[in-house]
Formats: sequence, C-alpha cells, structure tokens
Amino acid sequence: MTDHNAPAAAGQFEFLYNGRPVRSAVGQTLAGALHAQDEHILSRSFKYHRPRGLFCCSGRCPNCLCTVDGEPNVRICITPAAPGMKVESQNAWPSPKFDLLAVLDRLQAFMPVGFYYKRMYKPRRAWPIWERVIRQIAGLGRIDRHNSGGRYEKLNLFADVAVIGGGWAGLHAALAAADAGADVVLIDEQPELGGHLRHDPDLAQDAWAGMLRQATDHAGVRVLTSSSAFGCYEENLLGIRQGNRLIRLRANQVIVTTGGWERPLVFENNDRPGVLLASAVQRLMHLEHCRFAGAAVVVTDNAQGYRAARQLVAAGTSVAAIVDVCPGPPEFAADIPVFRGHTVVAVRGSRHVAGVEIAPLAGGPSQSIACRWLVQAVGFTPASALLYQNGCQLTYDPACDHAVVVQYARGMHSAGAVNGTHDPHAAALEGRLAGLAAAATVRPHDVSLAALLADARRRLDDWQARRATCAAQYVAESPAKKKFVCLCEDVTEQDLCDAVAEGYANIETLKRYSTVCMGPCQGKMCQAAAIALCARETGRTIADTGVTTARPPEQPVPLGLLAGRAVRLALVRRTPIHDWHERAGAQLTDAGDWKRPRVYSSVEQEYDAVRCHAGLIDASTLGKFDFRGRGAAEFFEFMYPNRFANLSVGRVRYGVLCDEAGILLDDGTISRLQDDQFFLTTTTGNAAAIDSWFRWWLAARPGLDVRMTNVSGSYAAMNLAGPRSREILQPLADIDLANAAFPYLAAARCIVAGVPAVVLRLGFVGECSYEIHVPAQFGLAVWEAVLEAGHHAGIQPFGVEAQRLLRLEKKHLLPGIDTDALSNPLEAGLPFVVRLEKPDFIGRQALERAARRGPRQMLVGFRMPDGFAPEPSSLVIHDGRPCGRVTSSGYSPAAGAAVGLAWVPAAIARNGDTIQIQVDGRLLAAVVHDAPFYDPAGDKLRS
Amino acid sequence: MSFQIECPECGCRPVGEFHFGGAVRERPEPAAGDHVWAEYVYTRPNIAGVQREWWFHRAACKQWFIASRDTRSNVMQPAQTPDSQEARG
Repeated sequence: MTDHNAPAAAGQFEFLYNGRPVRSAVGQTLAGALHAQDEHILSRSFKYHRPRGLFCCSGRCPNCLCTVDGEPNVRICITPAAPGMKVESQNAWPSPKFDLLAVLDRLQAFMPVGFYYKRMYKPRRAWPIWERVIRQIAGLGRIDRHNSGGRYEKLNLFADVAVIGGGWAGLHAALAAADAGADVVLIDEQPELGGHLRHDPDLAQDAWAGMLRQATDHAGVRVLTSSSAFGCYEENLLGIRQGNRLIRLRANQVIVTTGGWERPLVFENNDRPGVLLASAVQRLMHLEHCRFAGAAVVVTDNAQGYRAARQLVAAGTSVAAIVDVCPGPPEFAADIPVFRGHTVVAVRGSRHVAGVEIAPLAGGPSQSIACRWLVQAVGFTPASALLYQNGCQLTYDPACDHAVVVQYARGMHSAGAVNGTHDPHAAALEGRLAGLAAAATVRPHDVSLAALLADARRRLDDWQARRATCAAQYVAESPAKKKFVCLCEDVTEQDLCDAVAEGYANIETLKRYSTVCMGPCQGKMCQAAAIALCARETGRTIADTGVTTARPPEQPVPLGLLAGRAVRLALVRRTPIHDWHERAGAQLTDAGDWKRPRVYSSVEQEYDAVRCHAGLIDASTLGKFDFRGRGAAEFFEFMYPNRFANLSVGRVRYGVLCDEAGILLDDGTISRLQDDQFFLTTTTGNAAAIDSWFRWWLAARPGLDVRMTNVSGSYAAMNLAGPRSREILQPLADIDLANAAFPYLAAARCIVAGVPAVVLRLGFVGECSYEIHVPAQFGLAVWEAVLEAGHHAGIQPFGVEAQRLLRLEKKHLLPGIDTDALSNPLEAGLPFVVRLEKPDFIGRQALERAARRGPRQMLVGFRMPDGFAPEPSSLVIHDGRPCGRVTSSGYSPAAGAAVGLAWVPAAIARNGDTIQIQVDGRLLAAVVHDAPFYDPAGDKLRS
Repeated sequence: MSFQIECPECGCRPVGEFHFGGAVRERPEPAAGDHVWAEYVYTRPNIAGVQREWWFHRAACKQWFIASRDTRSNVMQPAQTPDSQEARG
C-alpha cells in the first residue's frame, strides 16, 4: 500500500476511489492506477452481482464502468487520471469487494432467461412494484441531475479523404492519399496514433516511428486524436466525438481502418477478475507500466498470444503455460510449456483467478494449472460497424471466420484488420491501396496515380495468397452454468440455449428476448459468440444465422454532445428600436426569433392610453414585401381569395392567404402605392413561411411580370393608435392627414419626421391609427420623434399584451393562435374575404365546396356574464361532450365582462346562443356575441 | 438524412439547408371537378423511385428549383432552373 503521508513525487498526484486516495502518475488511466494498487474488483455485474475486473482495457466491455465526478458509466480504462477526481463504483453495496447482493449469484436457477416476462406479469398490479425492485438491484450508475457534463461545442470539417483509425493500415492509407494530393483527416480514438503497434512492441516495424512523424508533419494530413467516429451517415458525413466537442466531418471518401477488438472465449467462470484479453495485458504493461504479479496462463490460436507470453516473461511474470488451440507446430516460446490442441474449460477461484482447467479439444481428461492471470489471445472481431452503417454489404467468410465487405457503398473503402488482414505487411499494402484509390476518385486525372495503384494491388494479391488462418472455437464444451457470453447483461450459454429452445431462433428475436448484445458494449464483446451459439443450437451455418443490425452511435455519446450549444447562442432578432425598449424597462417576450416588448408599465395603463389618448407600438417584426411589375395585381388576384385587381392606388386592403385546401395560412395588408407597385405585410410569426409560399408560386408560374423583394429587415415599423393620433402625427408629416384627405384604409408614401415613409391608415386596434414604415436605420429616430410629438397628448408606448386585448375587443383573430390546420376563412368568421365569383384563386375549389357544404364549426366571440376569463384551450362542452375550445380570452373593460374567441359547432354559433365552457372541472355559461365588443359600428376607427 | 443537394445558385449544400416542396405536379384546371381536385389537394404520390421534386434553399439564396431524386437512395440528378418550360413538364 502507498504511504499517503509521503510527499508526492514529481508528476504524481492523487485521486479518490470510493473515498480512498489513490496515487497516480501523469499519463496513467484511472484503471491503470488502480491495477498498480492491486485493486482488481472494480464493479459488480448487472444481474448476478458477480465480481468483475479489468478485461478489455480498450473502452468496450462494461467491467470498469464507474461514476467519475458525478458522470455515470465512465469507462475508467480509457479515462486519464487527473488530480482530485472522484471515482465511485456502481451497482455494488457497500463496496465492489464486498457486495451484499452477491447472493443473487446463487439464485441463478430462479432467474432464467426472460424471467421477468415469465414470473412477474401476474398479477398485473404487482409489476410496478417489481419494476422498482429490479431497477434498484440491477442496472448501471445513477444520473446526477445537477451535473450537466460541462460545456459542449460543435465543429464542422470537410476533407477529400477521412481515414478512421490511426493504426498501421490507417497510417499507410492517410499518407498514400495525402502524397497523391488529397486533403486528408486522420481520426483515432486513442490519445496517440499507432493502434496496436503502441502496445505490441514486437510487432512494431522499424519504419513505425518514421511513419508516425510523417503523418503528423504532412501538410496534407490533419490528425484528430482522442476522437471516436461514432457514426457514418449518408454521403459520408461522419459524427465524431472529441471530448465535449461534436465534429461533423463531411468527406468525399472514407477509409475505414478501425481494426478489430479481441474476442473472448466462453468457458466456466470466464468473467473472473484476472481473466483478461491479451491486448488489455499488453496495454497495461507497455502504456501504463503495470506489472502482473504471480503466474499467468496464455490461451491463444495465433502469434499474438506467443508475443504476449514473451512480453510477460520479460516483465517478470512467470508464464505457467501457453494453451494453443491449434494442433500445428507452436511458435517459438522459449522454455514455456505449450499445450497444443488444448483449450481452457474453466477458471477456478471465487474472487480472482486461482487456476485454470484445460482439456484437449479432441477429448480427454482435463488438468489444472495454478495461476493468477488468464490471458486470451484468440483473434479479433472486425470493427466493421461504420461500414454497415453507411450501406456497405458484408458477408460471412468462413475462411477468416468473420464478415468481409463484398460491396462497398459509394466513397467507402477499408483496409487492415477490419478486413481480417492482420499481417503488418499486408495491412500496410491494403492501406496504401485504399489511400490511392480514394485519392484517385478525388483527383481523377493524375496519371502517375494509376501506376502506383496497379503496383500496390499486385503486391497485395501476393500477400493475400500467403494468408493462413486457424480459428479457435468460441465455446468450450462443458455442462457448467456460469459460462458468460455477454458480460454486460450477464447472459450465459445456458440462457441462449433456453431462449432458442423457447422459439427465439432468429438472431434478432434472440437478441431482444435474451438481451444479449444489448448492454453497454452493444455486442462488441459478445456478438461473435452469440451468433456462433445461435448457429450451433439451430443447426445452421454462421452465414445463414446472420448478424444483428449495426446502427449509430457505434460508441456511447452523451446527449449534451448532440444537444450542443447553450440556448443563449440561438438566433435572436432585435428590432431597430430594441435598445429603447430595454432602456424604458420593457418586459420582453419571444415572438418567433424576435424579442418584442410584452408590457412597459401595465396592461391597464397602456390600454387606457390607446383608448383615450394615443399609443405607439413597435411593429418592425412584421413581414414586409415589396412587389413590382405589371402582373402584380393579377398575381394577388390569384394568390388571395379576395379581390385586388380593383384596389385603387393609395388604398390598402386586408387580405387572407389560404392554401389549396382552403386552410387559412396568414393575414396581412396589401397596399397599392403605384399602379405596378404594392407593399404587403404579413404576421410576425409567418413571415418566413409566406416568403417561401410566394416564391414557390412565382417559380411555379413563370412568365408573370412580378418581382418580389423581402424588405422585412429593411424597414422599421410602428403603429400609432388612439383618438389623438392624427393631431400627434400631422405636424411630423408632409401630407394632409385630415379624414377627408387621408381616410380609413388610405395608403401613401410621404415624409414623416424628415424620413421617407410608407403610412397606412388601418383599423388595427379599433381606433384611428397610422402604421408607419421607415428605413430601419431611421426607426429609432422616428419612434422618438413621434413620442416627443405626442408627449402633450398623453402618448404611451404599448406592448403585445395590451395589443392582444385591444384587438380581441375588436374580435380580430390571430392566425396560428385562433386558427389551426383545419380552419378556413368561411368558418373563421371572415366570409367577406372569400370571393367565389372570381374564376380561379388558390383554394377556390376547396372553399367553394366548403361553402356548398355549409359550416361545421365556427370561430365565434363570446362573453362570460360572471366576469371570469377561461384560459385558452379550455374546452367547450355541448351535450356532455367536448366539441370545441377557447382560443383567446381576456377581461374587456369595454364590454365590462370577460370575452374571448372560441371554436364551437355551427349549431350553437348563432348570436345569443349559450355555450358551456369547462373551467377547473366546472361548467360556466358564456353567450355567443356576433359583433365586436368595442365600437361595433366601427365609427372610431373611421373617425 | 444527411445527403447533399446541388443548388443551382450555391452549389453542393447539406439537405438541412433546404425545404422540401413535394413532387412536381400539374395544377388541375379550375373546372376539373371535385374528384380531380380532391386528388390533387389531399393525395401525395409517394413513389419508390426517381421523382421530380421542388426544393427551396431557405438557408441561403431562397431559390426554388426542381431536381430529380431517387427516393430509395436519395441520389439526386443536377437541378433544373424552374424558369425553363421543360423543367415544369
């Protein structure tokens, strides 16, 4: 044990593991530091709470999942240690070394595959209780709701060629492509390039260090380390996680050189701490400087096992035996005893490996060998998920015992171990070939490339002819129960056999029923064995058994990474008068992308100002369009249900846009400023959609002499409303505003406060009002000039809250609030805008049919005699059934009652009908009211 | 969905910058009758194969154009400008 009082050596620091300080060196992972401290039980398994220790050391298996600084399910084998980190074990109480629920391991017989489907579905009421118990016992870490996981960011990159995996094949691919002139991005999930060469020194070529330097220094290669490509999407868009950064890389060509992950064997107690994959042992020895005290046994079917054994001996571990699955002559193994044609059938020891039992594959008595470590080197499963994701077709090849690509998707290549090419020379050639092929697609006219390509292809064919394989059987033959196929979900060989016997013989149904391949490793450790078992139990070949579907993400991705930037960085639009609103202390509200003043002082004060004196509201957020051309009037005649050909110059008209189904899209005003010049407004929220709508019809009906310009952002707009608005505006304007000269629904270009403006005389809130549009840069100046001019008259700025109440009193509807995707203008109380006598306009056929059929539901005004305003969305009840809803409501000072708008069946939509509105479970009576609640004759807005 | 679209104005851009405008269809004559109009208004062809369709480059040039796309593979043929009569077909 470490003496915690000793001063830390240079480059050393401490982190906390379950509250206990653990010393670590810079560059070490958390798992490496814990191994060095003889901490070998790191977690408890998902279902049976069996002890688990380091197994893959490559961030795949579930054994080292811990909560680190509040973030659950962190793989500590790939997480660099940092001073003061807090590491907590999961799924174990009180500690992973002594876990009370370990008793579950003895109850395996009572928890067969799918036990909760079989045991807990009756009585139905009991399931929620069972669910709570199971969630408590089984499972992974707990989510800390206060830990957001930090800040996330996004980055977009583009490249000619993306190479995924910086191993031997990937390095050659990247350099070959870059030398041929392609712009290359090389991605590797480890902190340094090199793949297996980093931790298998005997494999590393002399050229290796030189290659690395070339790749890092090459001007045509951008290297992304500690970056995992988790998804390969349509047209070679790669999703890459680099810490808290999401990189979206669009590559013309993608070369997958992801290699493979070692496959484990299935035998009794194959999950004991002390059973490791050979690459895990090599990583711990060569990258973490860890030692393996005591004896080791290596089981293998290839040269890697022999290399690992020699490296263990060199590091001071005594290797008791090499168990070689192949019957042929062994590789050179010095004085280590080699058992040829044998395999491991069981591990002894309850909390750590104490010995292994081996037996000849041909049959015969087993024998025990005492050891503390069992090292497995029985080949690799290709990491081909990215190839599958992007539509490459792979087929199982019995010669190399895994799936190989038979048809590449557009722009996809692969090389090296992912193709089953493990020999370094062949992998290098394959990489080079892929790199040249990819570069040739990007630079198709480079003649010198063709010769290089042909040369590389010829040499690769030579190498592949010499390839030989000898694969280990995954599953040891024995009747034992504790043979784990899936470490994540504690699925045993027995479970899979039972599931197949119960009828789940298809690999996809077997997966869903048994949950094999569904845990944190997503089948990386267990898929090959599960398929082999399914094939064995169903008497099919592995090719016929098939594979489960590979979907993104290939690696776990935190949601924060996808959610990305903070909301405050989202697009926000501010009007030219925004700063004034803020200075005036306005409460702001969101209207689409815009910020608008909701209220300045109080709704009541602002309401009174507009009704008695004058008010000014910033309307710059309206959509504004300039239309020019001889065909403009004809175009509007077609776009709108009402008439525009007869609109005189200097007049403005209310218009409603419908789609071909007669559904109300938006409303607004159309002003004719000259014979061939129109100025059009839309609502704030629909401005973008209406822009697209107009552009589509202009594109679909070419030949009309119409030019449209979206001037929404070029103009500031404000609406001056109230009985004293004329006397306020007149001194600022260069035209006569007298009612006779500039009456209701007049429109004019003029000068306001010295600025060229378009002024429209509108109803708006039911008072005499002027909508003033000026170039955006003069918006603030005109706003201030109008307020100054109105000071003596009691003018006040008003916000959208007062505006909604003022407009509700006039029964003006708000498209999108009072209407929805089923509302047509005939039923929404706007029959006067539909002119069916016109031969054709958008929605005419649908509206004509609706007119023939008669209204089914109507948007009506209502008043509540007892003064209580029901919330929007309150239900209208008729004959005991919901049959409509309230869309707007509020207390109207003019009506002296709560008023609102509601959709009701046509049968109860006549003036004076009583409707029932449900409020807090009670039914309140309301009376349908046809006329506007304020100034029903419209005298004020015309005055 | 992460394919790219060749905008006649802006070149190759990710599909997320565009708004889909549906298959190119001929608007019936006003007098075509309820049945034809109901078919036009409420039914979409939704074919599996190559289809000529409208796309709107909303995030940049705000142009509508017509392009052919194989709905099974999202492979697109170069866009046509909507002004040409043959593009409307």
